[in-house]
Amino acid sequence: MIHLDDNLMLTDDGAVMCAHCQTRLGENSHEPLAHAVRRERPSRDAGPGVHADPKTFTTREIVLRQLFCPGCSTVLATEIVPRDEPSFRHWSLGAKA
Amino acid sequence: MPLIHVAGSEKFVFEERASDELCAIASKFVPLHTVDAAAELAIDPLTYEVIRHRLSAITDDMGDALKRMSGSVVVTDCNDFNAAIADEAGDLILVGQYNMQLAASLDMAIKWTLEHRSENPGLRPGDMFFCNDPWIGGGLHQNDASVFAPLFYDGELFAWSGAVCHQVDLGGVSPGSWSVAGTDVFWESTPVPPVKIVENGTLRPDIEDMYLRRSRVPKLIALDLRAKLGANNVAQQRLTQLIDKYGPRVVKAVMKKMMHDAEHRLRSKLRSLPDGTWGAVAHQDGARAGDSNIYKIVLQMTKHGDKLTFDFTGTDAQVEGFVNCTFAGVRGGIMPIILTMLCNDIPWAPGGIYRCVEIISERGTINNCTFPAGIGKASVASAWATQNAVSECVAQMVGTHPQHRKAAMSCCQGTWDLALLAGVDQRGAPFVTMLCDPMAGGLGARVDQDGVDTGGQMPIPMGRIADVEINEFSFPMLYLWRREEMDSGGPGRYRGGLGGSSCFVPHDSPLHGVHLVVSAPGKALPLAPGLAGGYPSATSYDVLMRGTNVQQMLAQGFIPGDLDEIDGRHEVLPSHVETNMAANDVYFTHWQGGGGYGDPLRRDPHEVALDVASFRVSPRAASDVYGVMLKTDGTPDAGATEARRRDLRRDRIGAGAA
Amino acid sequence: MPYVIGVDTGGTFTDGFVADHLGRIASAKSPSTPPEFAVGALNVIDELAKSLGVTTRNFLHDTSYIVHGTTSTLNALVTGDVCKVGFLTTKGHADSISIMNAEGRYAGLDPDQIQNMSRTNKPPPLVPRALVAEINERIDYKGAEIVRLDENEVRAATRHLMSQGVEAIAVSFLWSFRNPTHELRAREIIAEESPSIYIALSSEISPRIREFARSATTIVNTQIAPRLRGYLIPLENELRNRGFEGALLVMQGSGGCVKAREAPRHAVSTLGSVLTGGIVGCTNLGVALGHKNIISTDMGGTTFLVGLVVDGKPVSSTSTVINQYTISTSMVDVHTIGAGGGAIAWIDQGGNLRVGPKSAGARPGPACYGAGGGQPTVTDADLALGIINPDNFLGGRMKLSVELARDALERHVARPLGMKVDDAAAAVYAIQNAQTADLVRKVVVNSGRDPRDFVVFSFGGAGPVHCANYAADLGASGVVVPLGATAAVFSAYGLASSDIVLTVERSQPDNFPPEPARVKQAFAKLDEELKAQLQEQALPFASVAFEREVDMRFTMQLAEVTTPVAPGPIDKDAVANVGKTFEAAYASLYGKDAGFRDAGMQIITYRMRARARLPIHPELPHFEHGDRRVKPKNMRRAFLDVRRGWQDTAVYDYRDLGRDDRLVGPAVVETPTTTVALPEGCTATLDQLGNMVIRYADAI
Repeated sequence: MIHLDDNLMLTDDGAVMCAHCQTRLGENSHEPLAHAVRRERPSRDAGPGVHADPKTFTTREIVLRQLFCPGCSTVLATEIVPRDEPSFRHWSLGAKA
Repeated sequence: MPLIHVAGSEKFVFEERASDELCAIASKFVPLHTVDAAAELAIDPLTYEVIRHRLSAITDDMGDALKRMSGSVVVTDCNDFNAAIADEAGDLILVGQYNMQLAASLDMAIKWTLEHRSENPGLRPGDMFFCNDPWIGGGLHQNDASVFAPLFYDGELFAWSGAVCHQVDLGGVSPGSWSVAGTDVFWESTPVPPVKIVENGTLRPDIEDMYLRRSRVPKLIALDLRAKLGANNVAQQRLTQLIDKYGPRVVKAVMKKMMHDAEHRLRSKLRSLPDGTWGAVAHQDGARAGDSNIYKIVLQMTKHGDKLTFDFTGTDAQVEGFVNCTFAGVRGGIMPIILTMLCNDIPWAPGGIYRCVEIISERGTINNCTFPAGIGKASVASAWATQNAVSECVAQMVGTHPQHRKAAMSCCQGTWDLALLAGVDQRGAPFVTMLCDPMAGGLGARVDQDGVDTGGQMPIPMGRIADVEINEFSFPMLYLWRREEMDSGGPGRYRGGLGGSSCFVPHDSPLHGVHLVVSAPGKALPLAPGLAGGYPSATSYDVLMRGTNVQQMLAQGFIPGDLDEIDGRHEVLPSHVETNMAANDVYFTHWQGGGGYGDPLRRDPHEVALDVASFRVSPRAASDVYGVMLKTDGTPDAGATEARRRDLRRDRIGAGAA
Repeated sequence: MPYVIGVDTGGTFTDGFVADHLGRIASAKSPSTPPEFAVGALNVIDELAKSLGVTTRNFLHDTSYIVHGTTSTLNALVTGDVCKVGFLTTKGHADSISIMNAEGRYAGLDPDQIQNMSRTNKPPPLVPRALVAEINERIDYKGAEIVRLDENEVRAATRHLMSQGVEAIAVSFLWSFRNPTHELRAREIIAEESPSIYIALSSEISPRIREFARSATTIVNTQIAPRLRGYLIPLENELRNRGFEGALLVMQGSGGCVKAREAPRHAVSTLGSVLTGGIVGCTNLGVALGHKNIISTDMGGTTFLVGLVVDGKPVSSTSTVINQYTISTSMVDVHTIGAGGGAIAWIDQGGNLRVGPKSAGARPGPACYGAGGGQPTVTDADLALGIINPDNFLGGRMKLSVELARDALERHVARPLGMKVDDAAAAVYAIQNAQTADLVRKVVVNSGRDPRDFVVFSFGGAGPVHCANYAADLGASGVVVPLGATAAVFSAYGLASSDIVLTVERSQPDNFPPEPARVKQAFAKLDEELKAQLQEQALPFASVAFEREVDMRFTMQLAEVTTPVAPGPIDKDAVANVGKTFEAAYASLYGKDAGFRDAGMQIITYRMRARARLPIHPELPHFEHGDRRVKPKNMRRAFLDVRRGWQDTAVYDYRDLGRDDRLVGPAVVETPTTTVALPEGCTATLDQLGNMVIRYADAI
């Protein structure tokens, strides 16, 4: 068992699990968050830190994109990005496939 | 005009070569001092420690000399400079704890010089070279002007010393050389490839004049040039004394051993970390004034065994604008993170550390651009964004290790919020300066504690801001405030460090105003992401209030404490703009904090209450982001907090889940 | 009035040294008495009187001045026992002391710590945000009033702060050093509200540009000043009661003294007070013995202090960093690197034996004092190893208990680790020596110097027991143990032999070359001020030397180079010579061609210094040859070196020895104030002043 970060653990059989509620989030460390719930909202939902409406500066839509544990709703990943882009924040453990 | 390849520019590119190969080329024209492996083995531990610390004291002395001799607040008070010592092949033995971006590119310029200048004009005792060509190295944009010098001992080229600092203006369309409207390098300061500026111990006036002629403040640039000569003089003198005392063989063996030690220790740390691949993306909104597009740098970092590979495939092509960076920028984005997060307990000998790193980057991309792409803002644009992506990947990797995780930080201050002032100062002299207040950025949250508020920034471990009085003494400005900004740190179980804001009016300029260049992305979206679900820091936010009543307010005995208290026209500034400030205009610049770590709903409610009491978090963010409800006495209401957090959790995976 | 007294109050012991105009000297040592440090100071004066064979009243009556080095301010800061301070500053700038120019995250840290960036933090705030009040007022860079002082706001803030229980108020407004009127008026208002409260103004404490350091310095000054005042005034009164009519002087961190009455106004300058005496002593003794590069090591009961003398001058700086705050005050660089003889031995969670940094201090002190300290300390180990003679501590005035020492070692070290008491004591001794060497090495090497170019001076009651071990480990060329008349009261000797140094300066930026008349006038004013200050000291000086200097720079620079101004009349040539001296100094610092004459030059500050020599300057008596039959007073089993273990060890009484006598280790030399350990492989000779000079053929 390895703690990967504040929320994630790698089990001895190679699965990725929520450290808070033990929900399995991914069967292997190449697709570690396959079962996480993904949600997009307007970026200003992130709180008062997002000062001005992104439309003031760009024509592209900007979203708050998050991944949650389906068991306990803990947020596992947060990014604020253009909506038309895929997420580049993938990771996998072990030698590169 | 679109970016069209310039035939003939290929020569001015740093080519990575093995040190042996480079030495073989150079030694045809200049004798190089080398030692064998046996010399390294013969070093006893005390001698090693003494010489190692002495070398480090020499780089400190170089830094002190630069600070004391320079006339630029950017250097004297804000530490935007660095000094380094390299071996005969240009491999860096150590860098000062100042701007590591600058030092991480000095080896490139030295190596290029060894390859292309050894034959003609030749390398001789008493020579020093000048360079500000970022395709060659020695800096990340043209304002990073470097001076480096071969050190000869007994007729052999023994080592190199080098000093780099940010120069406030080297020409180009816009003051400060930040040409926000520029589409290519011809709008900017002309890069100067390595040129022998000191020959046989004497500064060449013809070369100096050629350099100074481009600047709006040539006397200041001349003074700073001498500061760099002085720093190199200090290094040459102290290094020579050191070699006199211990002998060239011993000193050189220590230098080699320092690099080997760093390499071996980094390799062994890498082996203790899991193999894997980590991906990240870093954005910039706007490549020049009027541009509303968003650009990305994509990174896949792979760790295999004792090697790290940074693969930037997928990064956007170079753009018409001034935010591209050269290969020096990629290295400048990588090295500071490796030093602080992986080499936190390993000597900073980049020459050894680079041996563990491979960089895959396609030429012609936004962070490895070709001539004549615009690079005026490279250091704090694409190089900085590169660093954000590297920071995210390295932090996640070290975060998996039970001990090394403590070196991890979420991304620190996502971007540089540039405010450049120019005009005529209160003494009637022309001036240009970069306001360095954003150097007090928020640091990213750590795996076990909050990020440091207004603690600095990633590339400059010893970054510093000038006192308000130094800025007001040097430039025609009057501050209304300089403070830490509420809600600017990324929320998380551990909160990112706060950024800050400055608000000022022009003061006492005979022109009754100042020229203002603003360049700060991170307005459409925040640029310092969090880790482990932690939120990014706040966006940058710059406001220019025109035609205000601020002078009347001051005359009536009242200093406004917020923009809301001032009457006037409120202009939210775009990422890049060049304009004038009149006497009654107020400029507010709010720079970014650091990213958070972990789920904000898991933050200790007492910590949130303390943050609210000390103006670090607003009551609104406490409720909406942290789910903490406070009683009237400011302490957490346990029941209401539990209910609020339950509601927020339900809302998270309710409607809209995909 | 023939006597001059030096009194050095450390954490554990208070040392006294006295000299008179006839060359007679005496010394004494007495336990410090925290928190009432004055008691210890008075006790040591009694002891000095006793050893001169006069009554305290007569002794004090005949004393011309007392130079006092006190730990009280530094101790207050380090232990956090400072008074609760309220802070008034310009509106919009309350965060200045938490932003700390961003440098507060790393200031004062070692390079290794700075490099470990994610582990760096800013210190806790100097003043909690709730006790900082922002005031509507504003002065600009040229001293012009931009916003008038809101007097009601000052009054309201004072009342609010008083209601929060603050004991003192610090005021630091922007540009107050250019135009102090707002600060001066604020003081009047605060005093109206609270007549007796201590108030410090940044324009008086640190009248220099750069508001962060000025504010931090003013706040720290305010935190410690009431405590210093509460210490010095009763002390001076009590001395007067006992017949003292001379001047009580307090040593400052810069190496010069001020009158005790003046000291609390500028309390911050006494932060280095207790650290300075030893360095001054080393420098002066170094001159007598011909040593220019000295590592000064002072191992007392509570602390271990390291300072450097390079080329005959103490290494010092114009600012110091305390708790990561930059404090503008001139100070000799003295590093506190760990605990002294009172360092407690303990077992950490991993089951490893550790020594220090916690100290048993003066109270209860080591277990062997029998004052209720149950924790084993380095001194207990030294006693258990037979190095210290229980009947000869402080010349026999304090009996030590071997039983209590062994018992503490047994309970806290030997039993938990499953070892014999002897072995436990040996381990404590070895760890203390090795870590001392490492820490001293770090100080020297981090300053870019090689310990092999230095001699070590070892003083402080606990130092000579360990110095041969750590100095050999350092590779220093030798050790000098001041054993003559100065012995274990070395810092007190330094105090008594110090000069009065007064400095006055005026910031008056002038383009170079200024009219000679302008320069002449600037120095004439300073000269007047300086002479008035000398007058105020009301002391008969043997001689006064004046120095003039200017701080110069090339136009546009922000840092200056201090440039001496030669004696003699100021005319056009003299001014031109100052410029030449500056350029030459610049070139020697930064190399040929580094200067930039085309930018023009400026004089920023004019400064004058008076170095006044007090009429009684202690002359150390020459040490006489003995009967040349160097004979131990007895032999005992002692443990001086881990590699050799317990050995039959010759024990010498210092009083039996004479000049040029040579001793060979293993040996122990007992003196009235300390004990010197000479492990096997060391030789020691006694020099013309009675100091012991140790060399080692066989480095440890």
